[in-house]
Amino acid sequence: MAVSDGIRQRAATVQRPGLRRARRRNAIAGYAFLAPSLFGVACFLVLPVLVVIWLSFQSWDLISPARWVGLDNYRSVLTDGVFANSLLVTLVFVVIVIPVQTVLGLFAATLLTRGLPGSGVLRTLYVLPWICAPLALGVVWKWIFAPTGGALNAIIGHRVEWLSEPQLALPAVCAVVIWTNVGYVTLFFMAGLLNIPAYLLEAGRLDGAGPAALFWHVKLPLLRPTMFFVLVTSVISTFQIFDQVYALTGGGPQRRTDVVAARIYYEAFESFSFGRAAVMAVILLVILVAITLAQQLYFQRRITYEMD
Amino acid sequence: MAKRSTVIAITVAAAVVIVGAVGAGVAVLGSRDTGGAAGAKGDTTVTVRVWDEQVASAYEQSFQAFEDKNPDIDVKLTVVPWADYWTKLRTDVAGKSAADIFWVNNSYFADYADNGDLLDIDKTLGSDAKSAWAPSVVKQFTRNGSLWGVPQLSDAGIAVYYNKALLKDAGIDPASLENLTWSPDASADTFVPVLQKLTKDAAGHTADDADFDPASVTQYGYNAGNDLQAIYINYIGSNGGTYQDGDRFTFANPKTVEAFQYLVDLMNTYHVAPSAADTNQNGDFSRDQFIQGKMALFQSGLYNLKNVADGADFDWGVASIPAGPEGRVSVTNGIVAAGNAATEHPEATKKVLEWMGSAEGNEFVGASGAAVPAVTDAQPVYRSYWENQGVDTSKFFDVLKNGTIPAPQGANFGAAFGAYGPILEDVFAGRVPVAEGLQKAQDAANAALDG
Repeated sequence: MAVSDGIRQRAATVQRPGLRRARRRNAIAGYAFLAPSLFGVACFLVLPVLVVIWLSFQSWDLISPARWVGLDNYRSVLTDGVFANSLLVTLVFVVIVIPVQTVLGLFAATLLTRGLPGSGVLRTLYVLPWICAPLALGVVWKWIFAPTGGALNAIIGHRVEWLSEPQLALPAVCAVVIWTNVGYVTLFFMAGLLNIPAYLLEAGRLDGAGPAALFWHVKLPLLRPTMFFVLVTSVISTFQIFDQVYALTGGGPQRRTDVVAARIYYEAFESFSFGRAAVMAVILLVILVAITLAQQLYFQRRITYEMD
Repeated sequence: MAKRSTVIAITVAAAVVIVGAVGAGVAVLGSRDTGGAAGAKGDTTVTVRVWDEQVASAYEQSFQAFEDKNPDIDVKLTVVPWADYWTKLRTDVAGKSAADIFWVNNSYFADYADNGDLLDIDKTLGSDAKSAWAPSVVKQFTRNGSLWGVPQLSDAGIAVYYNKALLKDAGIDPASLENLTWSPDASADTFVPVLQKLTKDAAGHTADDADFDPASVTQYGYNAGNDLQAIYINYIGSNGGTYQDGDRFTFANPKTVEAFQYLVDLMNTYHVAPSAADTNQNGDFSRDQFIQGKMALFQSGLYNLKNVADGADFDWGVASIPAGPEGRVSVTNGIVAAGNAATEHPEATKKVLEWMGSAEGNEFVGASGAAVPAVTDAQPVYRSYWENQGVDTSKFFDVLKNGTIPAPQGANFGAAFGAYGPILEDVFAGRVPVAEGLQKAQDAANAALDG
């Protein structure tokens, strides 16, 4: 302590300009160390965001010169109903997918952490769909759902037009996405559950808590950091679902599966309306940032990272 | 702490959005092809891009012959599948990384021509060059007084492939197919009864039987459906309707509505064609059914001849399309090789285009039977190839004598198609009344053109 006090005293007597210079040097060194990642953030994040915002005020078909149209794109996107439909579809999609996959993931994780025989194999099987390319899975599921010659209709022995019946298409796509994601969610919940110290569970049991009480009052609260991570990442990724929709339905029938990311793609690369696509991307960005902030605020007060 | 995690959260959200939304397109498009793989020193490489594998293999031989004559030019051919072709072409032209020569079709060439991305063929090869090429294709790709590509393929007209065994089982003489008439007026129609006899369910009931079960069809009569070139534009033409007036869409034309109504009835009332759920998003469904022997009549063009000849292991023949109230009116369509106006090797590109437009260069396409050459002098090779195979292709050509309906055209077709495509799917699926759906499709398509 005495040594460091001495240093501090000596530092205090050093002239201020010198200190400032030292600080500046430190700052420069700091930024120098940050430079590679700052470069990445600037080039691949900030710049594209700015370009997309700029594009949202242009009329551009990719080959003829971009033309400034002010708020025209915003007006057409917000009034023609196509984007509103996509937002609604995406919202319904998220509302179906997130709860189901979270509950299923939590349930599977609880079972898998019991150390029952075969858990290792099951664990691998669960994660497999998540590892596979979504587009490839989409193609496989398209065959499973095919009205003529499809596997599912062959099994149930009845002709159902899963992907072209307006009422069935969205649930069918949801099912495929949930099936894909459950393994991933399970993985995180398993890690979270295994991190819960045994003594806390023991203490609960000693106090007379049954399995249900133990789950609700000990495990679930301690899983909050995991829950936060899982919810934030899966809400964001579900809002941006694209591959499966692209492969399964192409947004149809009657735009019932026309989720926002797919709509952005079709506006940009089918209709070549880059201005409108950019507007949609900007709106999606704002929505996702808002959701993330809300989740952040909600969990901030309730998360305990410390467990020992 | 809270502040930093907020920043991180925003950053993560923003990163995911940008990478997801903007990057998705790039990911789907895949990598661009490289143009700089020159062979020996001093060689110029000319890149060519097409979407058809069958024709590409004929082109390989053609370019080999070209390279033998022009040792200083290296031609590099790339095949981009149809599903990604127009998206990829658009981004490559925008990024100045498109091939020196690329195929364009009727629907999409106008945007590039209007924007100055294509070489004016009249200026590049001289305005006399076109006399060697199929007039219908030249006409189709002439816009604002100039020709915008060297004609390569001509699809001739549309005809009907039939399965001889299935016709025989139903007691229908193939020769009688030539007398069939379709009409919105049921009393004048002789087509539906034939199709009903050719459609069967799992229990063997034909479609005109009261016990027929539309949910378990095992043999389709015909491929009525959401297929512009093979089906509906010909029905529109045969009924005296129109598809476009100039660049504007005219789906709501009463004659056009009648034609669509007839097709939708074939699918959803008479059940003699696969359902829209099978065909709306799978353009090859009907062709595959025919090749597997599960469809009696398959209306299509010469673009499927090679597939049918190679795939079908039963006896088949070709008949004319059914005559409508205005007779048999077919679409005819061509494909041209367009020169990239931004090419770095204008001289070499000109030489390759000249070769592709010569009878000698274009003949390879016909010699393998892959497609009809659009260079008039190269066409006999195609016919003789199929004659040697025992296939008579005359029905595809004869139908053009009765008059044609123009193929889709005009600027901004992609946007229009994006707008009306989903509505036509609804029409064929029977989810919206035909007249109402077509009015909506027309309004949406024209609004998209005005963009």
